[in-house]
Amino acid sequence: MVDATPVALELSGIVKEFGAVRALDGVSLSLAAGEIHALCGENGAGKSTLAAIAARKLGATAGNVEGQGEIGLVHQHFELVDRLRVWENVLLGREPRRGLRIDAAAAREHVRDLARRYGLDVDPDAVIENLPVGIAQRVEILRELAREPKVLILDEPTAVLASTEIDALFATLRTLAKRGIAIMVITHKLREVIGNADRVTVLREGRVVLSEPTAATSLAAIAYAMVGGKVPAIATRNATRLQPAFDVRNLCSGTGAHALYDATFEVRGGEIVGIAGVEGNGQSALTDAIAGIAPYAGTMTLRERPFVGSPAARIAAGARIIPQDRQREALVLEWSIAENAALGDHTAPELRRGWNIDRAARDRRARRIVERFDVRAASIDASTASLSGGNQQKVVVGRALAGEPIFVVAYQPTRGIDVGAAALVQSRLVESRNEGTAVLLISFELDELFAVADRILVMFRGRIAGEFAREAFDRSRIGALMSGAA
Amino acid sequence: MHEIAGFLELTLIKATPLIFAALAGVICERSGILNIALEGALAAGAFTGVAVSSTTGSPLAGAFAGIVAGALICGTLGIAATRFRVDQIVAGTGLNVLALGGAAYGIVVLFGTPGVTSEVHAFGAGGEATLVAIALVATLGLQFAIDRTPWGLHLRACGENPKAATSAGLDPRRIRLVATLIGGMLAGLGGVFLSLGELDLYSDGMTAGRGFIALAAVIFGRWTPLGACGAAIAFGALSALQFGLQRAGIPSELMQALPYVAALVALTGVLGRSRPPAADGVALDS
Amino acid sequence: MRLRNGILFAATIAALAAAAMAIAGANPLAGFAALARGALGGERQLSETLVQTTALLFPALAVAFAFRAGLFNIGAEGQLIVGGLFAGLVGASLLAPGWIAIPIVLGAGALGGGLWGGIAGLLRARFGGSEVIATLMLNVVASLLANYLIVGPLRAPGVEGAETAPLPLSSWLPPLLPNTRLTIALVLALALAALLRYVFARTVFGFELRAAGEAPRAAARAGINLTRTALVAMTISGAIAGFGGATLVAGVFHRFNVELSPGYGFIAIAVALVGRLDPLAIVFAAFAFGILQSGSLTMQALAHVPKDVVAIVEGLTILGLSARQLARREPAAV
Repeated sequence: MVDATPVALELSGIVKEFGAVRALDGVSLSLAAGEIHALCGENGAGKSTLAAIAARKLGATAGNVEGQGEIGLVHQHFELVDRLRVWENVLLGREPRRGLRIDAAAAREHVRDLARRYGLDVDPDAVIENLPVGIAQRVEILRELAREPKVLILDEPTAVLASTEIDALFATLRTLAKRGIAIMVITHKLREVIGNADRVTVLREGRVVLSEPTAATSLAAIAYAMVGGKVPAIATRNATRLQPAFDVRNLCSGTGAHALYDATFEVRGGEIVGIAGVEGNGQSALTDAIAGIAPYAGTMTLRERPFVGSPAARIAAGARIIPQDRQREALVLEWSIAENAALGDHTAPELRRGWNIDRAARDRRARRIVERFDVRAASIDASTASLSGGNQQKVVVGRALAGEPIFVVAYQPTRGIDVGAAALVQSRLVESRNEGTAVLLISFELDELFAVADRILVMFRGRIAGEFAREAFDRSRIGALMSGAA
Repeated sequence: MHEIAGFLELTLIKATPLIFAALAGVICERSGILNIALEGALAAGAFTGVAVSSTTGSPLAGAFAGIVAGALICGTLGIAATRFRVDQIVAGTGLNVLALGGAAYGIVVLFGTPGVTSEVHAFGAGGEATLVAIALVATLGLQFAIDRTPWGLHLRACGENPKAATSAGLDPRRIRLVATLIGGMLAGLGGVFLSLGELDLYSDGMTAGRGFIALAAVIFGRWTPLGACGAAIAFGALSALQFGLQRAGIPSELMQALPYVAALVALTGVLGRSRPPAADGVALDS
Repeated sequence: MRLRNGILFAATIAALAAAAMAIAGANPLAGFAALARGALGGERQLSETLVQTTALLFPALAVAFAFRAGLFNIGAEGQLIVGGLFAGLVGASLLAPGWIAIPIVLGAGALGGGLWGGIAGLLRARFGGSEVIATLMLNVVASLLANYLIVGPLRAPGVEGAETAPLPLSSWLPPLLPNTRLTIALVLALALAALLRYVFARTVFGFELRAAGEAPRAAARAGINLTRTALVAMTISGAIAGFGGATLVAGVFHRFNVELSPGYGFIAIAVALVGRLDPLAIVFAAFAFGILQSGSLTMQALAHVPKDVVAIVEGLTILGLSARQLARREPAAV
């Protein structure tokens, strides 16, 4: 097959070093006009770095970026100014003028015109912070499209979308591709790739390990290339005797788009209950209510006793929360592993001696965590800021499980960490479950829940939309509930 | 009637330095710089105005010098914040100490005796009125600029989300630096009014915390020029009331304390909450 | 590397100070020499330097304490004044043997300062109001309040000027060196520094404060009550500064005078920064700034350098050290 389509973007031999770390090691890739090209890889493979270099937002240590015209980049975490309007964001830096002022009418018309042309419906006067995530993403895309790019790169665009929104997004991308724009989608969601991309390139540890038309490859091959082998095994789920543990009735918390409404469920000792759902459907409200840092209505009990009060009281009652953001919500980055090991349990009798922290006990606990979780660090006195994301997360999870809690809430426990660390974390959670801990696993990755959960509850718009026992796990039905389509 | 006119006149006179300083605060904070060096900028403007007027005999030259002095103080904050990722509050505090100390030093070096300068050629009623008018016009101009011009939009973007601004091809560093320079010029002019308009000299501690009242005015005014100006005028009125009420037996210290206490009350949120620009005081990523 | 940067920094500031001296028509070498002589030239001079060191050490420890907990206490000056005011008022009306009177007077100072810091702490803890604005405002209110009370309703009979009646001898702090102004206040300050160091390094309370200061969201999830730590930290910080004010009243001036402090509360910020918020290093930093303070008068008298050159040095130091990233809580809603 003769490929006559022009090359819109050519990356040759891209090398990128951050100090001693080589994030990209000679990556070459070419993007044809009108093609949808998926760039896949595990966390830390170098995808976002490559995207930034391709979009000329970051300089490469070596290698060449050749592209005609504008290259647009839609970020994973939107770069929109929340308090400004849609048209102000879309045309920031290129506002139409009339004398000294901005020609607001012309600006609005320009945005409406763009929206029509590309099929991305938005209200030019809406303020960003009032928009749902899917619409805000459209604004981000429009902002890049306003620059009439020849190439559009999207970094993990579907992370915050439900499946109907994902379909809509890819339909839009198809339209753009037909107009000759070259599109690169960075994603780790392989099913989307197979369904929607023309070509797929896989990065692993900064190198290209696979680059094929999607028709010529398979999901399994891509997954294998991403991991470089088989996925490490997770501990087996043993048979357990279920004990009553955590019970929640009619829990409501928060207001607006991300609130929680009327949640009723239980998590028994010896099981992992998974919460499936697209990000932003009330999972944070649920976690914060359980943690005691957000006000709520409804009742929670732990081992049949009321589960109430401050975060300190809940920790004392035997609950541990693994928060979503390890760097801002779980660790004091500048502190050592040892000091972080005490955080949360620092008032418990095991770790204190009168008014002081019992350093010996604290260090013992830290060493146990490092050993059990294979934390790669110079010593327990090393600052957690010096650890990789995977090792930081291991410290966080290790600390949560160290006190042998009754109930653990793990919120995205394997977010942004490498496959090996993820498998280890999942194994330890399963082991805790085997020993009788009640585990509530909130994850945006359905694969993770399918791997370890005993039951799955689906959350959509703040409500529990469905429940599935393991025997009845059904990907398409769960996916439909996740996007409110059922 | 005569009394009311007199009261209004006194209010404007008391308010004008506050208006200038508050406008400076608004510009800086909208761009993302938390500028607590307004006190130092006022002092720098006040002293330099007197110093140059004394040397040249021209209050107009003094005014220009004062503007430059204010710009230097706030501009230093701007450079420190944009090039060195400093803690803006600490840097602002340092600049205040530096400016006030520098002015005290200057009094001795230029005028011989410490504490207070001699009287200098100052603005007459016409000059004062001009400065008041400039303050009010600047308020309107700044409000228009922030709301309607591209520069104003860029400024607001910087103060809310500098990353987004960079993404759109703007330069938050330059925008913030320019904001501090413009703000500094305004604050300097406010100081000039204080020394060359109201009192015809400079003395140690003359600024008396006006730079901090201006911060309160920015908050009361919800970070808008019109609001801040209004708050500054309200504070000026309190100041003007002071004399009358003193005759009625209310101690002057109480009146002087009122703006500060009012700001403390505002902090409780009982007068309504408002949000500062999201990136106010937050250092830019390198 | 840090040492080299530190020396470079000090050298730059020294050069700028020399320039300021030259511009003022003085000989910089003579200026520095006079400064050194005035600060360290003899037993009396050294004692005076230590008096200034002590006066700076208390508010510097106060500022550092709050900073470690993630709060900007720019109000040490006001807290010092209120503490001194309370101490002066209580001390002037108390006639009792030293071992009763002195703790009461010093305690009154801590109470006053703690109250003043507590107001800012309450505004921050309960209402989320910025403690930066609050403490700045409270500084001014403190002076105005002191002025008003001393000259007005609480004026002592027979006293001219803005000060309280003198403290009875029994309430005077015992001197460390006879015929000098140096008292046991220095010992108390050093003890406090050691205590604070211990609190931060070893105790659960210190652990919680540090966590609240360096990672507030993680601290909240770990069960630390941020509201309570903000209130407690500001109150203790204010109490330390107020205690310092009390030592000035009971040890140096033997009365409260509104001119008590030449800005110790602000210079203390420089001291805290130079000492990198570590109580031990702050002791040395306070000594360095104490030299500047006590030598400045001699520098002015002998070498005709305006003493305000010292203020310039202090301002430059704070400005220069602002590049040090202090762990900060998320900005409060205002």
